[in-house]
Order: sequence, then structure tokens, then C-alpha cells
Amino acid sequence: MAIEDDVTVVGGGLAGLTTALSAARAGAQVRLLSHKDSTLRSASGLVDVLGYRPESAAEATAPIVDPFEAISDLPESHPYSKVGESGVRDALALFDEVVGDAYQGSHTDRNALLATHGGEVKPTARYPASAAAGLTSDTREALLVGFETVVDFDAPLVASHLESSGVPFDVRGATVRFPGDFRADAKLTRLADALDSDERVEVREETGSAGYAESLPARQALAEVVKPHLDGAERVGFPALLGQHDPAEVRASLESELGAAVFEVPMGPPSLPGMRLEGKLLGACREAGVRMTTGNPVVGYETAGGTDDDGDRIAAVRVERNGAAIPFHAEQFVLATGGLVGKGIDSNRSGVREPIFDCYVPHPDDRYDWFAAEAFGEHPFARFGVETDDDMRVLDAGGESDFSNLRAAGAVLGGFDFAATKSGAGVSLATGRAAGLAAAREVSE
Amino acid sequence: MSEIEDSNDENTVREEEAVENDEFEPVQVFPESEEMDLRPGSDDCYKCSTCDTNCPVAQVDDEFPGPKFQGPEQWRLKRKEDHDIDDSVMSCSNCMRCDDACPSDVPLSQMHNTARGEYVESQMEKLSQEYIRNRILANYRTMAELGSKVPRLTNFVMGLGVTKLFNEKVLGITSEREFPDFAEETFREWWSDRGGPKVRSEDKRVAYFHGCYSNYNTPKVGKAMVRVFESFGYEVVVPKQRCSGTPMFANGMLEDAKRAAGINVENFSGLIEEGYDVIASCTSCSMSLRQEYPELFSFDGTASVAAHTYEALEYLRLHEDLEAALEAGEVEAGNFAYHAPCHARNQGLAGQPVELFESLDGATAEDVGPSCSGISGTYGWKEEKYDASMQIGAEMFDHMEEAEGEVGMTECPTCAMQMEHGTGYEIRHPLEVLEAALVE
Amino acid sequence: MTDAEVLVVGGGSTGCGIARDLAMRGVDVTLVEKGNLTNGTTGRMHGLLHSGARYAVSDQPSASECIEENRVLRDIASHCVEMTGGQFVQLEGDDDEYFEEKLKGCRECGIPADVLTAEEAREEEPYLSKDVKRSIRVPDGAIDPFRLCVANAASAQEHGARIETHTEVTDVLLDESDDEVRGLEVRHDSGPGKHEHGRAGETEKITAEYVVNATGAWAGQIGEMAGVDVEVRPSKGVMVVMNCRQVDTVINHCRPKGDADIVVPHETTAILGTTDEEVSDPEDYPEEQWEVDMMIDQLSKLVPILQEARTVRSFWGVRPLYEPPGTGTTDPTDITRDYFLLDHEERDGLSSFTSIVGGKFTTYRMMAEEISDHVCEQLGVSAECQTADEPLPGSEDFSVLRDYMDEFGLRSPVGRRSVQRLGSRADDVLKTGEPNPVLCDCEAVTRAEVRDAIDQSGTDLNAVRIRTRASMGNCQGGFCCHRMANELFPEYDESQAYDALDELFEERWKGERHALWGEQLSQAALNYALHATTMNRDRPLKGEDTDFAAFDSGVETEIPEPVADERGERGD
Repeated sequence: MAIEDDVTVVGGGLAGLTTALSAARAGAQVRLLSHKDSTLRSASGLVDVLGYRPESAAEATAPIVDPFEAISDLPESHPYSKVGESGVRDALALFDEVVGDAYQGSHTDRNALLATHGGEVKPTARYPASAAAGLTSDTREALLVGFETVVDFDAPLVASHLESSGVPFDVRGATVRFPGDFRADAKLTRLADALDSDERVEVREETGSAGYAESLPARQALAEVVKPHLDGAERVGFPALLGQHDPAEVRASLESELGAAVFEVPMGPPSLPGMRLEGKLLGACREAGVRMTTGNPVVGYETAGGTDDDGDRIAAVRVERNGAAIPFHAEQFVLATGGLVGKGIDSNRSGVREPIFDCYVPHPDDRYDWFAAEAFGEHPFARFGVETDDDMRVLDAGGESDFSNLRAAGAVLGGFDFAATKSGAGVSLATGRAAGLAAAREVSE
Repeated sequence: MSEIEDSNDENTVREEEAVENDEFEPVQVFPESEEMDLRPGSDDCYKCSTCDTNCPVAQVDDEFPGPKFQGPEQWRLKRKEDHDIDDSVMSCSNCMRCDDACPSDVPLSQMHNTARGEYVESQMEKLSQEYIRNRILANYRTMAELGSKVPRLTNFVMGLGVTKLFNEKVLGITSEREFPDFAEETFREWWSDRGGPKVRSEDKRVAYFHGCYSNYNTPKVGKAMVRVFESFGYEVVVPKQRCSGTPMFANGMLEDAKRAAGINVENFSGLIEEGYDVIASCTSCSMSLRQEYPELFSFDGTASVAAHTYEALEYLRLHEDLEAALEAGEVEAGNFAYHAPCHARNQGLAGQPVELFESLDGATAEDVGPSCSGISGTYGWKEEKYDASMQIGAEMFDHMEEAEGEVGMTECPTCAMQMEHGTGYEIRHPLEVLEAALVE
Repeated sequence: MTDAEVLVVGGGSTGCGIARDLAMRGVDVTLVEKGNLTNGTTGRMHGLLHSGARYAVSDQPSASECIEENRVLRDIASHCVEMTGGQFVQLEGDDDEYFEEKLKGCRECGIPADVLTAEEAREEEPYLSKDVKRSIRVPDGAIDPFRLCVANAASAQEHGARIETHTEVTDVLLDESDDEVRGLEVRHDSGPGKHEHGRAGETEKITAEYVVNATGAWAGQIGEMAGVDVEVRPSKGVMVVMNCRQVDTVINHCRPKGDADIVVPHETTAILGTTDEEVSDPEDYPEEQWEVDMMIDQLSKLVPILQEARTVRSFWGVRPLYEPPGTGTTDPTDITRDYFLLDHEERDGLSSFTSIVGGKFTTYRMMAEEISDHVCEQLGVSAECQTADEPLPGSEDFSVLRDYMDEFGLRSPVGRRSVQRLGSRADDVLKTGEPNPVLCDCEAVTRAEVRDAIDQSGTDLNAVRIRTRASMGNCQGGFCCHRMANELFPEYDESQAYDALDELFEERWKGERHALWGEQLSQAALNYALHATTMNRDRPLKGEDTDFAAFDSGVETEIPEPVADERGERGD
């Protein structure tokens, strides 16, 4: 009767996938329940472990060179304190193995500095191979290429801002038209597909007064558009749209056409590197035998009766589907539903809550204390989330575990500002792995 | 309109007359003038564009602006007196993947369905080829009803080159596709000859929504559904029913859909009160009853039908120890290349056959990935959409070829057509395998 | 010889209206404004084009003026006005007598008024409460104050006026005996996000034959510089902006004056208003949570869906209320909404100087006409006022019924919104011959429209915002502030573009803070993630301090093999 697994993970983002993968590899039968696509698809695809110290720290504005070294300096509230430096390292090792050569950065403990599409320089621990040639510690001259209709990336402005930020290389920017007759509102994914399949696109060349049209494979056509701007640059950066499925091949073609290294500048949503990363993790989960049920929200739970000393046990979570509630039974549950952006944390005018299990989410009573006055101030809302013990069990207001078999991982955790400290992906990986392993361990016990 | 008449299956003369006289006159959508305002749905959109990255049409059709624009943006920009819906809404195939994608609960497909309905009502030329063609495709049941009276003749005629040429040139229905054959005996004829239910039960009772396709084209799926449920001791009833409305929504024929839905809701909600749950074997039909009805209509009983409708395997899984039963069973079916229809995905049913056949000896289902088959019901039948439909399907065809099995599997009849069309594979419904495994 | 005949202080609706009126009469006029246009009260109102019904019981002269000007503005400012119509709604339990009084008052003032049954009222506005008893339909409308003000200024410029924004008055220049105003000393501000002037950061003395103080709530401050008392009584009111339009007509609660009694459909949004509370300083007053809560809680009695609807921001405006000395009204809601022309020669013995105070937005043109008449009389100019007949730029003949795709290559809702905003300027602005992507998805603002606004207002992205509505939708700029700033480069340099971005982003944040719960808190968190995490805009590098070499230097990079036959083409 009914659907039953060892471990049920709620949430399909970076944390949920890592949890499910870790638990499945440890031998548990795992089901992953996800309602909608996760915010992983909106994230840049960079894997930040720890880029800055919390704002209250003295050197908060200087990027951290060695994130692992800095972990022990973090305040107790940061989720890294539950897993420790070794937990973070182990999670990154898992990540490195899953993504293979699609990512770089594992050869050193040091952070890399990459240019963002906003023109700033950002510290991160792992970066897509497609972004590798863009490291700002690299001294080779760079050309940034933007497209007229890709409005989130203005290459000349970004180049100019990077130079004024003191990067150790010469950088120029050029805005070109993406070859072919694409509409002004063509999606990023559409342009990426054109490069993936190297489809033939119309190219118009003006020769004197009479123009003539020819068609070229998209990659070659793109290279032709870029060449006049190359002017000796040894590497060329594009907004991250160089192929959805086969970025390495697209990059290789462009590199051989241009005779220069090619890299992607990670972008905001929709983010191709984020989508590619999701694909890798989903593949690994599938291979590990994780069962996935998607499309409907988890709205509540059933308990098994609170006879345990260590609190109530959850027997099933209830998935809502047009008025009916479908129970999914398991021995262990992990909450990985995300934070305010992923809607694992919800709010209204009077308070902040975790909507499925109604876990305790510490927050000031007055909603005017939820934010700072400046846009980049020290926002309390950025730290909203649930609290756990060292075994990732969710805690109630009294510091006791709510349910003995409920853990949490990722952005649903509170106590840290992932944006300010640049530690979001690291926390999802490290706490996801820890929660997944702990859940699987209890099953096998 | 033929659908509005309470004609029954015996009264063939009346039905045919009705079709001839009324079928293609202009419709009055929303005669009761229920103004549908979906602007508040835009409250949930935070502009992340995840919907756009999941839209199979936007990926191949450069003129299509994607669900974010079609849905929350277009609605939010609307003022009461603005009536010009961008015509690109007609290119949406209603696969509903955007619903599944949106991290923030925007009612995307509802917005598209409503916008499409408004567009068809107020902006589409009612004598245009496109309108007439869409109306025919949307009302497949009417055509099937006629065709299945003389299945062999119809199958022969539909297969003729001249018919295809006529369909393409005059109606805009692609000649690339083979019309599905009509069965010599419809499911309902079989059911009636059989004398209805073989099992009676007070507490295990289901009402079967077979949909048009199982009735006219693949009655074996319907028969399998009946036999499997009866083997678990269920009383199965087969109430009168109309098209679920899926092809009508996709073509903006909301008035047609509303008439059909009204009849379906009335017939099934009455049974629900008597303790029946509603079972569908086609995932688009169950999608329609579960989601589109409550989003678009407000008949008495709509919510109850939505809450009590299940897909066949889902129902058994929840109410029986299906895994144990399958473990005890055995088939010689081999490996299937399984495609999860978009509409199954939206109902949280995507992995079901794969999971279930893990415990069954002699059958495995291998998921061929999350891509859309590209046919989306009537979309792939349109002459001007055929190429896009095949481009969308290309990924699935490739994955099917890569999969070990040489037989395809899916719950959706039009996905099955597309799978067969793209690979030449024979396509099975999971219920057929269940029947082989569980029914003596 | 003076620099200008008339100097107008204040770039709100009144000041811009005066500048236009005088310029059209051939007067050489200069307008100075310390911020951007509409910086004061004009930019902080709910955008209601009064039918006059609101004042039909309490202040009938104002009501009559309103309906008169309402008709004028529909003609001359058609691209700023949306004639939504309005209802005064009586709920069960509301006073019948007041309803009848309102109806009678409307009729006495010549305001077309029909009574709607509850059913009719709800048919027009399906989201109205089921508790509606009946309502009065009146010709209220919505008007975009930004567009109106900008169009007035543009028209004034076309007629030879000089318009100086970001120009603060630092002193009023008097003659030796202190009994005549001779001009103004101003400082041209040129900091981040300001309009770039030829004279960056300079002070300038501008002499004039006559000076008009049209600074509304700030009139006392200018008066003080001239040594005269102008006792404006600023009164603040809160406005709450909803993400989308729950109503398409102006919904007023039909009851004696009170707080939180109006919902105005404004462009893509609905604006809830308001409160009325006297403050001592028009620039420094508390903006409080209870005011926001009151709007939502009170108005959801009229329109219940508001309780759950998404709020995107709140803002406060300050009314420039005035009453003649000695009237002694204590409750600001009782102070008249009428306007007063204070001729300081008559009043204080200081010639060539007049202040205009009080009044309301709907009658700005009438006020401008009266003060222009007064000034012209002083100057001996005999030209007649033409502002009631001459359409504003953008409102000349134009049709919104067009095929946007064919004409401008835009999806129809995008084209429709652009044309609604640009009016008759649409062709000039949108036909660029280049790809014209949408920069602001929420409000459907294209690159061409943003560039046009930059042409008008330079690096001040807030001025670009009010001209286009870019960054005023549900994402509150999270997805488009940087796209707007990108358009400044390379015409303006990199640091100006980044400064302008920061300024706009902070301005957006300032108002969004008052809506931080539910969907908008999720949006804020997403915007924060996008700008801080993805773009790292919260931690810009401090130039030389960074030791790049200390960080990951990458794994050995393969040098790609160039395609031999292509090499010759390298360089250009």
C-alpha cells in the first residue's frame, strides 16, 4: 500500500540533489519530491564556498584567498559550524567527482577571482570549465564580446569597469549583433541551441552599396563577427550562452576559429551554467537510483505518534494535487526547499514561517526590522531560515529537535547571509551531504 | 452544436444531422459573460524566466515569445479595455511545462488558455482556414464518432493520398502524418456487448474516463484498464462522457470545452457522490479534469471531480500493494523506451512505469529523458507546426534509439503517435503490460 | 538687461505649467528645480484626475474647478490621461444621507453622476466587495503626473524656455533697499546620477524681472530667503503601490472624509491612498508601518482581494496646504484644498515676487494660468493664455490602434504600452532601424524609449525612470536597473554609469522596503541574490589593494590552435 521509501528529500535544488545523491550512495532507497524547478537554474553556476567574512567582521570587503582556512573564524550561527572544514572539503570532493571536467578549481584551496556580468570581480571556489579562461588573475589581454539583444551584459562598460577596478590585464569590450535573423527578444537558450547544433545562419555582408547574403554555420558566423574586434587579444569572453548541451565543443570551435582562448561570463537568470550543473546532478542522482517525483507541492505531513523520547516522528509527507493529498512514506525526511527565493521560507505582514512542517524560523517581530536601510546593507531577511543541531536535525524555539527524523539542508537554513559571504553553494553542498549521510545512516541502523 | 445535445450513442441520425448543420458556425464564447481577469496571477512572477527555458516551442519557433511574456507579462500590461492579445499565443502548444517550471506558482497555462480563448473569440477570423482547421482538430471526437461508424472505409479514405492532399492544402493538416486507424469495435461497443461490469463492489468502485482515443482508436488500452482493475476487485463503471477538452483548450475553443466539461462534470460528480473515484488512462484527460476544469470553469462538482480523479497506475499504487502484485507477476515483454508525457510530468506521474516495472520480471522501462515529444495533441498535426513539432521531438527520438528497448511506452495517445512517427517503434501503454502481468 | 524675464522656482506641475504658459505667451522664462522634474509633491501623488466628486460636499468651488480642468486635460494631455471613470462606493452600514449629499453635490457642481446598483457596480468592478450597497459613477480618471510634467517642460522648452533641473536656489537676490527681488543665486548640482550641465557644480546668479515661487510645500523655505513669511502647512499622505490593477476604475469609499478611502488604477498598478497628517518639515518626516497596514486593511473592505495581493512599494507625499494667517484650523483634513496667489508686493512690500501655494494637481493648469496672468500684468505683456487649447507634446493627433509588429517590430502588448506612454512621439522614438529589445520586462520599456529619455535627462536614471516607467514594475528594478545604466555608456563614462546605477538601485530599495513580506520579500531576496551574489555588486574591488596573484591562477591553459588560414584576418 502507498508509496514508501527509506529517505524522502523535499526540494530539488542544489541541496536537495546533493542530499538525495549522498543518501542513495550510502545505500538508502531515496525519493526526491520537488514541486517546481529550483533556483539552481537561476544561479550563476559558480560554486561559492566562502568569499567574504560576515559584514560585521573587519575585513568584510576584502575577498578571502583561502576559504577553508577562514571557515573556523565564522560565527557559530553559520551552517558550516555544523559540518566543519572537513565536511565542506568532503562535499566538494563529492561535487568534483560528479561534475568531472565540467568544473575547475579543485586543484587548489585558493579562491578564484572571476569577472561577473555586472563588471565586478568575485571570489569563488569552483567554476565551470567554460569560465576558466576568464580568471582575472590571468594577465593575458582580453576582449569581452556582448550582443545587442543580450541586455544584461554590456561588454564595453564591463571592460571599462574592470580596468578601473585594477585587474592585471588589458581588457576591451565590443558589442556585436548575434549572427542570423534572430528576433530582438530571442531567448538566451535559443541562441545557445543555435551554437549547440551549429545550425546555418544567414549572414549579410555589406560590399559597397550592394549587400549579399550567405549562410554559415553559427559558430563560424559568430567568430567572423568577432574577428574584426580581436586586435591581438589572447582570450575572448562571451555572456554565458555558448551552448546548452555541449559547451565544450562550442568553445573549442570558437577557439580554433578565433585563435584565442574563449570563456563565458556567468550571468543571472536564466543561467545556462546553472542549468548545465542541474543536469549533471540529476544524472548522478538517476544513476544512484534516486526516484524522482515532480510537479506537486508537499503541503503537510503525518506523524507516527510521539512515543519517542527524542520527539515526534514523521511518518509521511503529504503531496497536494488538486484537492487530494497523496502521502509519501519514509523513515527519514530531509527538508531542502530553499530560502525566501526558493519559497522554502514564506512570510506575510505579521511573520516568517517554514510552510511545510512549520519549523521555527527566528525573526524579529517588527517587519521593519527585517531589512537594512541600504540596498546592500546587513539584511536580517538574508539570514532567515531554520536552525539545526550538529546532525542537521531541525530545532524548535527551545533548541530541541522538532521531529527526530527531520533534517534540513541548504538555503532553508538560517543564520548566514549567503549573498554577502558568498557561501550559498558551499552550504548547500556541505549540509546536503551531511543530512543525506545522516539520514541514510539512521536507515541502515 | 452537436456537443450540447444530449444525444446518445444510439441516436446516430440525429447526431450526424447536428454535425452537418451546426458544427462550424461561429461560437459565442462566454455567453454568461464571466469576465476572466488573471492579472492577479502576475503577482507571483518574479521574472526569473525559468518558464522560458522549459518551453519546447520557444526553443524551436523564433516567433514565439515564450510563456513569461504570454502569461504574467501580457496579463499585467493589460487594461480592461485592451483587447489585443498578441497572436503568438496561438503558437503555444499547451504542453503546460511552464506550470511545472515556475518556481513561484504563476498560473501560466491558465493564463495561456484564457488568452487563447479571448484571442479566438475576438480576434480570429471565423471563416479562416486556421479557425476551421483548429475547430476540426479540437473536436476530434466528432470526427472519430463518424469515422468509427465505418472504420474500414474511413481508415482507407484517410490513408489515400488525395485525402491527405486535401487535408493539407484546404485544411492545413499536415500530410506527413498517418491518421490513426479507427478500431473495428469501439471500447464502448465492447463494454456494452460485454454487459458492463463483471465485478460489483460497495467499497471499491471506480468510474472510467476513457477519453476519445481509447474509445475509438485503442480500445485495448481501455480493456486492459477494466481487466486490471477488476482483477483487484474493483467495480468499474463507464459513464457517458464527452471529450476531456484537452484539444479544445489548446486551440482556444473554450466554448466547446465548456460544453464538454459541463457534461463530464455532471456525469462524474454524481458518481463521486456514490463513492466512485474517477480513473483515466490518458494523462492529458486526467490533467484536464484535475487542473484545467477548476482553473477555467465553475460548474457544481468541478472541484470534487478534480480532487477525485486519478491516473490508473497512480490509483492502484495508492490503494493496492501494486509492487507486491508485480513482484509476483511475470511477463515476456522485454525492455521499453518510456517517454513521460508532459501532462504526466505535471501531475507528478513522470517516473511511475519506470519505478513499478523495477519489481516486475520480464519488463523494464527506461526513461528516455525529460524532453517534450513535440506533438502536444493537435499542435503537431498543423501543417505549419509540423516541422517545429519534429524538431522538438528530435531529442526524444534520439534517446529512444539510444535506449535498450525496441518498443516504446507512454501513457499519452498523441505522444505515442509521435514516438511511432519518429522512430517506427511500436508503442504500448503501461496498462497493457500490467494486464499481461496481473490478469490471467 | 536681466538674464530672464521671469524665473520660476519649482519643477512640479505648477512650476512647469507656469513656465509653459509664460513661454507660450512669448515671455522669456527660466525654471529652476533642485531635483529632477516632479521631485516634490507632483511625483508623490496617486495619479488621480479628479472629477471633483471628492470635493462635491465639502468644497464645492474646488469641485467645480476640478470638473472643468478634468475636461481640459483630457483634451490637451490625452497621452497622460486614462479616462477610467470612477465610483463612489457605499458599503452596507455606510451613511445613506452622505451618499445622497454626495450625489446632490455632484449635480450642483456639474459633475456627471449616475447611481449604480450593487450588481452594476460589481459588474464594472468584479473585485469589489459583496458588501457594496450602491455607488455613484463619476468621470474620475488616472493621470501620469510624471509624463504630464515632463510634457509641460518640453513644451516650455519648445517655446524658448530654459529648464534647469538639479539646480537648487541658494539665495534670493534683492535690490539694495531689500524691497524688490532681482533674481536668484543657484547651485548646479552635478553629482552622481545628476543631469550633466555645462557648469558642473557651479553657482550661478540669474537675474530676472520677476520671480515666481512655485515650490509648494517648500514655499516657506524660498520665502525665508527673501525675508517673507509663507506659512505652508505640509501634510503627509501615504500611498501603497500594488503589483497589478485589481480595479480599472477609480474606487472611492463614499463616506465623509477619512483615511484610506481611494484606489486609483495607475498604469499597470493600483495605488491605495491615503492619510493626512501635518508634518513640520516637508523632507524629514517618519514613514511608518501602521500607515501601510491601514491602507491595506481599510481598503480591503472595499476590494477584498487587496488583503492577499502583492504590494510592491509605498511612498509618501506632502501636500502644500495653506491657509490665510489667522484661520487657525487644527485638523489638516479641514484645511481648504484651494490655492492662493500671494503677491509679496501687496502682502509684504517686496515687489517682483509672488508665491503660489495650496491647490491640487488636477487644477495645476488653471493655477498656472492665473499666476501667468498676474505676472504678465506686472510685466505689461498682453498675450492671452493658450494652454487650455494647445495640446501638449505627445498629445497631438495620434492613434493607439496600430499594428505594432509591422511598425516597430514589437509584440502587441509591448507596442501598445509604448505608444500609450509616448503618444504622438511614438514614431520618432520607436523607429530606430536597430534591434530594439525590451529592457524593462515588467513595464514593457524598450531600449529606444530608454535612450530617448536619456537624451532628455542625461545620467539621472530616476528621471529616465519617471519618463518611461522602467524599473517601476514588480521586480522594482532588480532585473533592469543595470540594463538602464548600460545605456549611459559610452556617451557618459564608466564611473557615471555605475554611480547612476547605484543611485537608482537605492531609490528603488527605499520604497520597496515598505512592502517587504510575501511575494515582494521573495523578490527582494532574489534581487539581492542577483546583484550581490551573481554580480557581486555589494563588494566592488578597491583598485590596487587586491593581490590578484594570491588567488587561483588556473590550471595549465591549453593555447588553442588557431585556424591557419584565418590568422591573416586578425586585427583590423
